[in-house]
Amino acid sequence: MTENETSVVMLGPRDRLIGELYIEGNLRVSGTLEGQIEATGDVDVTEAATVKATVAGREVNVSGQVNGAVTASKKLVIGRSGSIVGDVRVPRLIMQDGASLSGNVSMGPKVAAEFAQAAAAEAAPAPVEMAAAVQSATDGETAQEKSKPKKR
Amino acid sequence: MDTQHAVADTAPHEANEDGVESRRDGTNKITLGPGDSIDGKLNYNGHLTVQGQAQGEFRITGNFEVGNGATVKALIEGSNVTIKGDVEGMLTAREKLTLGKSAKLSGDVTVKRLQIEDGASFNGHVRMGSFEQSSGS
Repeated sequence: MTENETSVVMLGPRDRLIGELYIEGNLRVSGTLEGQIEATGDVDVTEAATVKATVAGREVNVSGQVNGAVTASKKLVIGRSGSIVGDVRVPRLIMQDGASLSGNVSMGPKVAAEFAQAAAAEAAPAPVEMAAAVQSATDGETAQEKSKPKKR
Repeated sequence: MDTQHAVADTAPHEANEDGVESRRDGTNKITLGPGDSIDGKLNYNGHLTVQGQAQGEFRITGNFEVGNGATVKALIEGSNVTIKGDVEGMLTAREKLTLGKSAKLSGDVTVKRLQIEDGASFNGHVRMGSFEQSSGS
């Protein structure tokens, strides 16, 4: 199984993407993005980023400007310089002072259950075990990543 | 909050010559304990803290605080609004709305600033920035 082989996609401040992007892994945006983005992992929208797109990810961090609906299957963090104009669907939402948000917010256990159901439907045979395995694999990876700072 | 008071005390205020209670930031304070309840309409020049049950319409010039374990079903208007309990209804915070870890809020909010702590639950529409139109009604 090469399932725990996840990619990390980074879009620099001068990069631009217009269209649809699907990533099995993490995404970090510092540039301009228009359209639709979905990542199975975490999505990071940095301060320099301008995103006019629907954003979907597991854990979404917004420190830049986002214009579009945002869904996160785990949680959404809007940093103090972050701004979202659009509807938000997340089980957990953290909003720092200074952050800006305009739109509808749906959250709580109900939304969490919906995401769990969707995940279970995707991994039909052994949903719980699968989800747990993927979770622990990715957790281990991020821990590794953190222990040695990114240099390539 | 102490600094706010200090500023209000030192800053000369024309409307203050007769009564201290007319101070703009509202030094008056009502606290409803865990066993207390209020049902109705309240316009109040000061701070209000609810730890019990509250229902109705509350327009507060100062800060509004809903304590942990409190249940509020009301239209709320205040300067700084802090929620740690259950709240249902329309809410306007002229300054800042803070949702604590244990907060549960459902309703539309109009705020200048918004802070949500991890663990809080919120369902509704958020409007940030100018809210002159809604406060006029």
